[in-house]
Amino acid sequence: MTAFIIRRLLYMFPIVVGVLLVTFTLFTLIGGDISQQIAGKNADAETIAEIRHEYGLDKPLFWSWDSQFVNHFKKALFFDFGRAMDRERISAKILRGIVPSLMLTVPMFIGEIIAAVSLALIIAYVRGTIWDVSAVVICVAGMSIPYLSFIIFGQYFFAYKLDWFPIIYLPEEPMIKSVGLPILIGILASLGGELRFYRTIMLDEMRNDYVRTAFAKGLSTTRVLFKHVLKNAMIPIITNVVLTIPHLILGSFLLERFFGIPGLGYLMIEAIGARDFFVINAMTFIFSLLIVIFTLLADICYAFVDPRISLK
Amino acid sequence: MTEITTQNELMQPRGYWSDAIRRLRKRKLAMLCFWIVAIYAGLAAFIWVGDILVTHFGWKIPLVQWNEHVGPSYQKPAAHYEFVPEMKTESQKGWCLLGTDFMGQSTFRKTLYGAKTAMMVAFCASIISILIGVPLGALAGYYRGWVDDAIVWFYTTLGTIPYILLLMAFAVVLRGAHIGPWELRGSVSVYLAIGLTSWVGLCRLIRGEIIKRKESEYVLAARAMGCSDFRILFFHLLPNVFHIILINFSLRFVSFIHAEVILSFLGLGETDKPSWGAMIDAARTELARDVWWEMAAATVAIFIISLALNIFSDALRDCLDPKLRMD
Amino acid sequence: MSEHEILLSVQNLSTHFFTQQGVAKAVQDVSFDIPAGHMTALVGESGCGKSVTSLSILRLIPDPPGKIIGGKIIFKGQNLLEMSEGRMRAIRGNDIAMIFQEPMTSLNPVFTIGNQIVEVISLHQGIKGKAAWDMAVDMLTKVGIADPARRVQEYPHQLSGGMRQRAMIAMALSCSPSLLIADEPTTALDVTIQAQILELLKKLQNENRMSILLITHDLGVVAETAQTVVVMYASRVVEKADVHSLFASPRHPYTQGLLRSLPRLGQRRKRLDVIGGSVPNPVAFPGGCKFHPRCPIGAKDPHCQACEPPLQEIQPGHAVACWYAQGYRR
Repeated sequence: MTAFIIRRLLYMFPIVVGVLLVTFTLFTLIGGDISQQIAGKNADAETIAEIRHEYGLDKPLFWSWDSQFVNHFKKALFFDFGRAMDRERISAKILRGIVPSLMLTVPMFIGEIIAAVSLALIIAYVRGTIWDVSAVVICVAGMSIPYLSFIIFGQYFFAYKLDWFPIIYLPEEPMIKSVGLPILIGILASLGGELRFYRTIMLDEMRNDYVRTAFAKGLSTTRVLFKHVLKNAMIPIITNVVLTIPHLILGSFLLERFFGIPGLGYLMIEAIGARDFFVINAMTFIFSLLIVIFTLLADICYAFVDPRISLK
Repeated sequence: MTEITTQNELMQPRGYWSDAIRRLRKRKLAMLCFWIVAIYAGLAAFIWVGDILVTHFGWKIPLVQWNEHVGPSYQKPAAHYEFVPEMKTESQKGWCLLGTDFMGQSTFRKTLYGAKTAMMVAFCASIISILIGVPLGALAGYYRGWVDDAIVWFYTTLGTIPYILLLMAFAVVLRGAHIGPWELRGSVSVYLAIGLTSWVGLCRLIRGEIIKRKESEYVLAARAMGCSDFRILFFHLLPNVFHIILINFSLRFVSFIHAEVILSFLGLGETDKPSWGAMIDAARTELARDVWWEMAAATVAIFIISLALNIFSDALRDCLDPKLRMD
Repeated sequence: MSEHEILLSVQNLSTHFFTQQGVAKAVQDVSFDIPAGHMTALVGESGCGKSVTSLSILRLIPDPPGKIIGGKIIFKGQNLLEMSEGRMRAIRGNDIAMIFQEPMTSLNPVFTIGNQIVEVISLHQGIKGKAAWDMAVDMLTKVGIADPARRVQEYPHQLSGGMRQRAMIAMALSCSPSLLIADEPTTALDVTIQAQILELLKKLQNENRMSILLITHDLGVVAETAQTVVVMYASRVVEKADVHSLFASPRHPYTQGLLRSLPRLGQRRKRLDVIGGSVPNPVAFPGGCKFHPRCPIGAKDPHCQACEPPLQEIQPGHAVACWYAQGYRR
């Protein structure tokens, strides 16, 4: 087991280097010289040159110990992200944004899983009947409506018209009111796709021979579903779930934008709008790192849940 | 429901593709969806051609001229309405299906134009995605060794960066970027952004399939006949995974349309031409004034094509996937 | 229960599958009896309906697309096809148990063998905890698994093919059923293991006074173990007899063809005898006698082409469904 983990951790390095390479290429090579942008519109050549020097943009790109790429790499390793265009420390921005993001995504995540898995089990119970077919139709329809429309319609209908929730995020209000609506919308919008996915997993499992054996032993359908099928189905479900966790932290940027929740997703969108490469760069690196770590965790979980797999 | 098939019909040998098409034809719903998609594609082509004719050749094709002022600002959908266009004194009468937007432009025409934007984006992005993903996957799967390691490292790296982040990052960076002497227009940057970030899944899939089929007998036979690697890859192996590429293409098409909508919404797409995302963006402020038709039009248009594509892709996959075949 | 008393009687069973290609009449008008304490073999090629028949007895036919559309199955004086699902569940695994062909996929890979055996015991006998586990270990010993205390904690993938099948048998017999349905239990195993499993089944049958319905396509297995044989072809029963009569004087052309095609030791042959043609598609059976297109006698006979022969007893204990065997001449 430890050998496995060590090997995987070692493999992480080339990936992380790769990610840094991609971000570097994207933001420095293709993005071009941003010193002009930082200096502002009316800056003269001297200011621009000063800024270039301050940000190290006048150094060679790759081929020296002091090159831009090496610096990029070093800074990432030490999590020194420097400052954003508005001069605030990026690390401070990030830390500030984590809590609102999590406040939104964690309940959404838990709600989604419970709703999707239980509904998938129920649908597997009634497979082949009209309920199953209608459920599939509703799921596909849900998947076809753009996410944006869900949000806008939800906001319009539940907040504006029915006035059940405030239209935007108000920190003074209790949590259930302030983030209740975005959480609800988020769950409903992704339910279509998730449910369809879990349903497919359940039905695939139900086609296996051991289900027939279980029925032949005299077990009821409920027992077969909730004990036999679920435990097998949990294997792909858990791996899927673990891999989704890093995305929780990114926050649902669309929801954050619409409801004015000052989380990491909102930060990201602002950065994109302002073309603040430093922030975008930092966030891309962090999330990639998280994904790499959680991919490893997913593999470990997988080995725990499935007795057939032993980690070598 | 239950047709009597004769013994003869059951025993006729069937080619893979003709068999798949025959089975697809039997599914009425899937065929309906196919025609819906075809209509959208046809409309998109018509508008694309019409657009060129209108802007470069000065033709007058009303349906394509989306920026014509057909009515007052925020006119509701109505059977009859009158308005006085700027710089004219008499009133003009007309009917509008879906109302007008802030500038008096026809929502209906904008929706049609949006179809062209969406289909073009999805199509071009798909092509880029296939052109990158398939060859890389094939090379990785066929040669293994260091080629495989390098390509796998590359796509794992790209795949590690969260898709939306990558997409937005590419879109931001590519706007106004220069490739040699040319500056990238908004729309091309969108094609590139989506295409360059979405090839990873296809690459993995193709690589897996090539690895599985590399040791099959027909490949061995081809090699024994002296075929070059290139020939084997392109004339023997790839045709056999074509159905996977096709299924992947139709499944991804929907997600590309949705990606375009999000990008336009964020202002990262082509900003001077209508698109569904921009229409939804406008709706944010419009709804407060009870102007619902722009968003409704865009949402319904997206909904119909997504639904049709989803259903059709499912049916296509059922018909083409040998493992799922139950007859 | 005394010898020769009928434990289970299948009467005019018909099971159809409603598919997009048409109705597959997998089982049509099938009747046979399973005497108590006997091993009855249900023989036929793949696709003749023998597995569907066995699944119909336990009402495990997937619905949709399948449906039992007619007949009766009398077990201990009650018609199984008219029972409520709840009472049927009480019978499954308890009075009538079933084992399947592929032990690897038929056992749940994420639970231990012990867990799966204990499940049946707790469900039907209400015994839980350590007592149940002890019974499980006991069963594993009875089926001949060495070191059962260790094996009971293992997962299916940790056992060999033969051991898995033994474990399945242990699971099936843990509630002492009166009838065990064995659907091709040895087909997926090596020949040497096959012999061991069959020996085991015979031994358990004698010890527990149990009936076994053995479904197989292997005539060698039938000759060795069964006492009664039911031959099926294309959804119907074509011949029923005790094993000696069947092998000594098969009356149906299909059975004759099957027996002729068995290679014999000491025989000097260049080519094996085969039955020409192939098994018909269940969606489109030929008219008249289902076997007539391949029959050496009846292929050109208009009566065989037009009319389906009924299953008739031609000697005590030996029934055939063939016009010619019943005395018809052109």
